[in-house]
Amino acid sequence: MSTRALPVAIALMLTVAACTPTASMSPTASPELSPSPTPAGELRQVRLLLGFRPDVQFAPFYLAQQDGYYADAGLEVTIEHAGGGELIRLVADGQAEFGVADATDVMIARTSGIPVTYVSSLFQSFPVALIGLPGSVPTDPAELAGMTIGTPGRFGSSWHALLALLDAGGLTEDDVTIREYPQFNQVEGFLAGDVELITGFRNNEPIRLAAEGPDYATNLLTIDEVAPLPGPGVVVGDELLAGDRSLVEAFASATAAAQAAVVLEPAAGLAAAAMAVPTLWEDMDTARSVLLATIDLWEGDGALPMGAIDPDLWESGFAIMRGLGFIDGSVAPDEMYWPAIRLD
Amino acid sequence: MTILRRLAFIALSAFAFLAAWKVIVLIGGYPEYILPAPDVVALRAVEAIRNGTLQPHLVATLEESVIGFAVGALVAVAAGILLAKSLTAERVLSPYLVAAQAIPILALAPLIDIWFGGGLTARVVICALIVFFPIAIATMVGIRSTDPLLVEMARAYGARPGQITRLLELPSALPVLFGGLRVGVTLAVIGAVVAEWAGASIGLGVLINIADQGLFDTPLMFVALASLAVLGLTFYGLVLVAERLLIPR
Repeated sequence: MSTRALPVAIALMLTVAACTPTASMSPTASPELSPSPTPAGELRQVRLLLGFRPDVQFAPFYLAQQDGYYADAGLEVTIEHAGGGELIRLVADGQAEFGVADATDVMIARTSGIPVTYVSSLFQSFPVALIGLPGSVPTDPAELAGMTIGTPGRFGSSWHALLALLDAGGLTEDDVTIREYPQFNQVEGFLAGDVELITGFRNNEPIRLAAEGPDYATNLLTIDEVAPLPGPGVVVGDELLAGDRSLVEAFASATAAAQAAVVLEPAAGLAAAAMAVPTLWEDMDTARSVLLATIDLWEGDGALPMGAIDPDLWESGFAIMRGLGFIDGSVAPDEMYWPAIRLD
Repeated sequence: MTILRRLAFIALSAFAFLAAWKVIVLIGGYPEYILPAPDVVALRAVEAIRNGTLQPHLVATLEESVIGFAVGALVAVAAGILLAKSLTAERVLSPYLVAAQAIPILALAPLIDIWFGGGLTARVVICALIVFFPIAIATMVGIRSTDPLLVEMARAYGARPGQITRLLELPSALPVLFGGLRVGVTLAVIGAVVAEWAGASIGLGVLINIADQGLFDTPLMFVALASLAVLGLTFYGLVLVAERLLIPR
């Protein structure tokens, strides 16, 4: 146990009956953040935090881990899962070297003084969309007025996208009825008929709904054209970035190479994902469809290589997030990201 | 111990807790986003009260936990009496009660929210479910601990079963029952938060989510946590007062 963790451990023992501590409040030993010389042949151990649950959408990370992309870059990567708030705090604090987080969350965290930086993009197209049955999904955001919309809560990219869409239609959250599903079970609410539309990743929820049967074919209202926002990507803590950029570049390059390999050969990505997430075997057809739809979003319009950050998209997203009041503009967008994949 | 000395002791204990918290932050070198110091949380609380952020969430959780506790306690006392008086009822219902207690309500809460169509009803149900078990068991144990000789004597004087329960067994069960109520009332606050995490737009649980995942505002998250602690302490104190009033020493 590190000396830093000791006071909290003592306090927790003293107040064990007082409350339930969150993982972010009980730090474990901090890794060495300065570039540590790794003896030849030895791999540098790093911790990677993905989203809140294992999924086929993380196929590049699984492939990179299993097929030696990370090992070739001198890395031994341990993959774990954590929620948005906890993930960003752990990465910023150096307790995990890498994480995958929403770009819009990075904007808020960075503006709040949390030292976390976005270093490579996973999605060239923003994945969140409004999802509903055909006929109930408007084509113009202004037509959302009066509708009932299910979303996980007032946080994360789904919330940011929903408000951006409403804003694009000249509306606010007061013009619609919002039902919150903090356990991310808005699909169940949709199936129960409690809401007309839900927010979700367009490469995931529509496909899983379609798998329920022909009655659940859905339409989408996407955000890319009306309010372009940058999508999820790899984040690192500022201390790591300042101290060991070569490590960050090595990780980002290995991940981007694995992502490109999945694009070329989706079956390899699917196999790697199924190896890491055995529950995928229960419905490989759906998993395959989700992966193919995810690949489309990774590529976007194909103008940028895997992992590259689009500065124009960040400028646009920054302006939208500022307009919505999520950030005050005190931190410039180019201070929020550092492109580990260079556009030479 | 006089009331003044008691208050002084409580104040001293609170001061020691806050001082220890501050020292931990200083020694550990924790950034604000990992563990904010108590003075930072206090300043954030003042700001949250001044700009009206905290109050609606506090009122919502207060409402849910009070109604959830009331509903859960009423049903639990009735169930506890039934379990105490009927061996058949105990044999049939006890396994379900214990099994229900073993199921993490956090997993079931999102479904309960959908089953009851969300809203206050769903949250009260979740809260009441959490409150139910300790109070029902305390009631059952309390009633069964009534002196059998007194029960026999009441019967000999011609008291009807309802009168025995109302005038003898329930008063006799009060010390144990209040033990269950003390546990239940603090669980009511947790129940309200669990219910809000299952589906709500307002409440301290929602504020925790917004502060934690939406704003990355750790001091505000601690303001919500401290508000929950204050709610729990207040409820516990009220049950203690009721206990002192109802059970003569």
